Amino acid sequence: MNIKITHNWLLEYLDTDASPYEIQKYLSLCGPSIERIEKKGNDYVYDIEITSNKIDTASVFGIAQEACAILPQFGKKAKLKFNPLTKYTFKKIDNNQNKQNKKLTIQIKNNNLCSRFTAIVLSDISLKSSSELIKKRLELCDIKSINNIVDISNYLMISLGQPTHIFDYDKITNKEMIMRESKKQEKVITLDGNEIILPGGDIVIKDKSGKIIDLCGIMGGLNSSITSKTKNIVFFVQTYNKVKIRKTSMITGQRTIAATYFEKGLDEERVESTLAYGVELLKKYANAQISSKLYDIYPKKHSLKTVSISTKYIEKSIGVKINKSKIITILSNLGFSVKAEKNSDTELLITIPSYRKYDVEIKQDIIEEVARIYGYHNIPSNLQPAAYVVQDKEMQAFFNIQNKTKYLLKHIGLHEVINYSMISKTQIENLGLKVDRHLKLSNSLSEDIEYLRITLIQSLITNIKQNEGKRDILRFFEIAKTYIKKKNDLPDEKYMLSIAVNTSFSDLKGILETLLYELNILNYKINPIVFDMFSKNISAQLLIKNDCVGYLGKLKSEYKDKNKVNSEIYIAELDFSSLVNSFNIISRFYPISPYAVIKLDLNVELSKNKTYAQIINKAYKSLNYIQNIKLIDLFKNKATFRFYFSSNKRNITEEEAKKQLKNLT
Amino acid sequence: MDDIKKLHLKFKFELANAKTINSINKLHISYLGRNGYINKVLKKIKSVDKQKKKSFGKDINTLKNHISEQIKKNKHDFVQKTDIQEFVDVTLPGKTYPKGSLHPTTIAIEEITKIFENIGFKRVSYPEVEWEYFAFESLNMPKGHPARDEFETAFIDFPENIQYGKMLLTPHTSSGQNREMKRINKPPIRMINIAKTYRPNLDAIHTPMFHQFEGLVIDKDINITHLKGTIEYFAKEFFGENRKIRLRPFNFRFTEPSFEIDVSCGICNGKGIVNGKKCKVCKSGWLEIGGCGMVHPYVLKMGGIDPEKYSGWAFGFGPERCFMMKDEIKTTDLRMFYDSDIRFLEQF
Repeated sequence: MNIKITHNWLLEYLDTDASPYEIQKYLSLCGPSIERIEKKGNDYVYDIEITSNKIDTASVFGIAQEACAILPQFGKKAKLKFNPLTKYTFKKIDNNQNKQNKKLTIQIKNNNLCSRFTAIVLSDISLKSSSELIKKRLELCDIKSINNIVDISNYLMISLGQPTHIFDYDKITNKEMIMRESKKQEKVITLDGNEIILPGGDIVIKDKSGKIIDLCGIMGGLNSSITSKTKNIVFFVQTYNKVKIRKTSMITGQRTIAATYFEKGLDEERVESTLAYGVELLKKYANAQISSKLYDIYPKKHSLKTVSISTKYIEKSIGVKINKSKIITILSNLGFSVKAEKNSDTELLITIPSYRKYDVEIKQDIIEEVARIYGYHNIPSNLQPAAYVVQDKEMQAFFNIQNKTKYLLKHIGLHEVINYSMISKTQIENLGLKVDRHLKLSNSLSEDIEYLRITLIQSLITNIKQNEGKRDILRFFEIAKTYIKKKNDLPDEKYMLSIAVNTSFSDLKGILETLLYELNILNYKINPIVFDMFSKNISAQLLIKNDCVGYLGKLKSEYKDKNKVNSEIYIAELDFSSLVNSFNIISRFYPISPYAVIKLDLNVELSKNKTYAQIINKAYKSLNYIQNIKLIDLFKNKATFRFYFSSNKRNITEEEAKKQLKNLT
Repeated sequence: MDDIKKLHLKFKFELANAKTINSINKLHISYLGRNGYINKVLKKIKSVDKQKKKSFGKDINTLKNHISEQIKKNKHDFVQKTDIQEFVDVTLPGKTYPKGSLHPTTIAIEEITKIFENIGFKRVSYPEVEWEYFAFESLNMPKGHPARDEFETAFIDFPENIQYGKMLLTPHTSSGQNREMKRINKPPIRMINIAKTYRPNLDAIHTPMFHQFEGLVIDKDINITHLKGTIEYFAKEFFGENRKIRLRPFNFRFTEPSFEIDVSCGICNGKGIVNGKKCKVCKSGWLEIGGCGMVHPYVLKMGGIDPEKYSGWAFGFGPERCFMMKDEIKTTDLRMFYDSDIRFLEQF
């Protein structure tokens, strides 16, 4: 989360000679990151990123504390002018019992909702606009000024990092506040006038009449809100179950500032100072009078925790020498109390302040505090010593061949795409596949990306479709995992290589053959086969050593139509791991023959009963001296073959070769 | 007519008819070669009268020199002429060869892999569809942690595993940490894991699928200086010598201490200001590249490694983001990477 505070506001707590830009630079290096700084009038606004573990710094006071620890490291003066946690306590609240004539009945139905509950009634408030100072500061921090009462609540939150709420006391039926979990579908209208239907299990407060007066930690109810007629108020400071607050806030979409504080888990101890400081402000700016006793329900009091660590361990972990007194100064400035143990001059016993209890628990947490204030920029850079680690040979081969394949396909003019692993139900059905073969996301952002792919083909069809008209020739490939559902186990993550072109079957087949040649896979066959996705007569399978590793063909007209594509699409999909396994690093070598090669051409008209494959097979089977056959020209079905004859023992004559070729025709 | 004169006439005639460089070369062989006409005539000198022998020899020598010069001259003229007459418009475009493209993420991944392999890291690959245990529990993110809710993680509709919890799409490559520790069994570990990762987000800087690369080092006596040194090495290799890095305190459950890493902005040179105006690309001169930290002792323990004996560091960055942060790349919209628009793809 980000918060905004102003420089002048910070100076209320902090005595320093550092300029706003120095504060930005130094705090960003060692503490909360001040992402931006903006001069406004005679003040500066800091925009600060707060990490979720350090919610104590999401306040003017929290930043002042950080500054006190950090700035001295850069030779800057920095001291707290006062500590609000010790200045504002319950003891400071005027507890004249004669005036406490107003009462509240409080019931908390479930003990995991609220770790500390405090409330006090204040009377005879005068509602008006805020003082210029408060108004201006809030507005600089992007908080709209409403009236003096609401503004004080917000002012407290930014000052100390503890959200508060204020009810109109007279609107609470029977002055009863019952805190409990909401039921599913219960409704509440919040301060901003929105009706919220609750998911159930949310922390709410009802009054005697049964109406919900507060969606706790998120926003108060409209029915108990402050209006111009308000005379008496309930000032309300709590810490809630953070998991519940986050859940309610996320599900209802009510991402209020208060919620972003409460969902991080706040310090129960700070409730006291916030309430005391709040009462002081309400008295000062709204003439409020205390008119009830102080309600404080705090069943499980905070107990201080300690961590012990040696300076040696700190130095070993950071990798630099830091002397003991420096470590003690750093930790003390951050609010830790440090005791150097008697028997050893290197052991430290560190007591953790209440507002750091969630975040500092073990030795490594202490190391972080020391290291960051010491300054990461002061830590040298080293490379760790080299070490031999065994790599999975299969993985290694896979990455190498994947790279080889990608580069080859790029160089012969294909474009690589990377698609989402998830596709839509429509995409699955438009290729005639069964939806239940696919793993389904239970919380998908949209229907378009709801199912995990078992083939890359749908994505590639979509790629062609969406690029139609942008370029005439489209040739795409993708290498990615598919996810084959298994029973009671993680899916089989199977790498596929898919190619889609809008050119011709010959182009597609040529791409595959070039790839197989590049990978030195020579013992393959491409045979006709009927495959559901492809046109009956333009469909084939690729066999390597008689194992089928993939299919190629022309997308069936039915699917082309369903996917609303204009151009014909030729698609190949191969099991990429099989290619990797069949890969040969060195191609086969034949000694160069010293004998003459006779080349003879032959024209053949191809037909169903006289296919290319049949001619070639027959030639190799029945002709002597045949070394190679190439298709050198093709016009419609008229093919020109070139036959290469040679003997590995002697020079043969042209007559001998011609005689052989005659056997074919 | 004597033989010499005849030969001279014959040569004149043949030279006049020699229209190619090859035929001129042939003339050279047929007249001046070892078995050429000149030598044949010369052999006749034996039968020539004694007193004529001298002048015969002289004449044939003159003819030989003449032929040699003529051939040389004709060859020279011919070569000159050919070069002058020949014309190809060299401003014409060359023959077109197909130009394909690799996806920018692939380009980034390849470069990143090389950079880390150079210092002894091994690239690995682990499941993208994972159990909660590997994505969260083993990384010190217990139940109830915000990252585990359905707003941050994509879950699969599948029966829960008693031991490992729900099935999900890995929200980070860190899910591979526990698997790598168990594969290696005993440190040292020098891992680079690059994979697809998923989160239910979509805007200009978030896509529901993206990539991450994760570095993990575990060994004896690993400290913060090693983490800093490695990241600095990577930044300088990938972004360029003039780019700087800084580590800022951050918070992750699986590392302690945790850092966020910034690289100085290549557009404004780390100044935060371009032509007197605030740089639009960065935050006050710095660009966030990702998170890192020292491996949390709990994470080591879950991987079966004794945190008292060993320590380590880890980082996780996005290759797409790194690619976009290179000086020369101007795109800032991550969605472009996964829209598969040919007009975007063909540029890489």
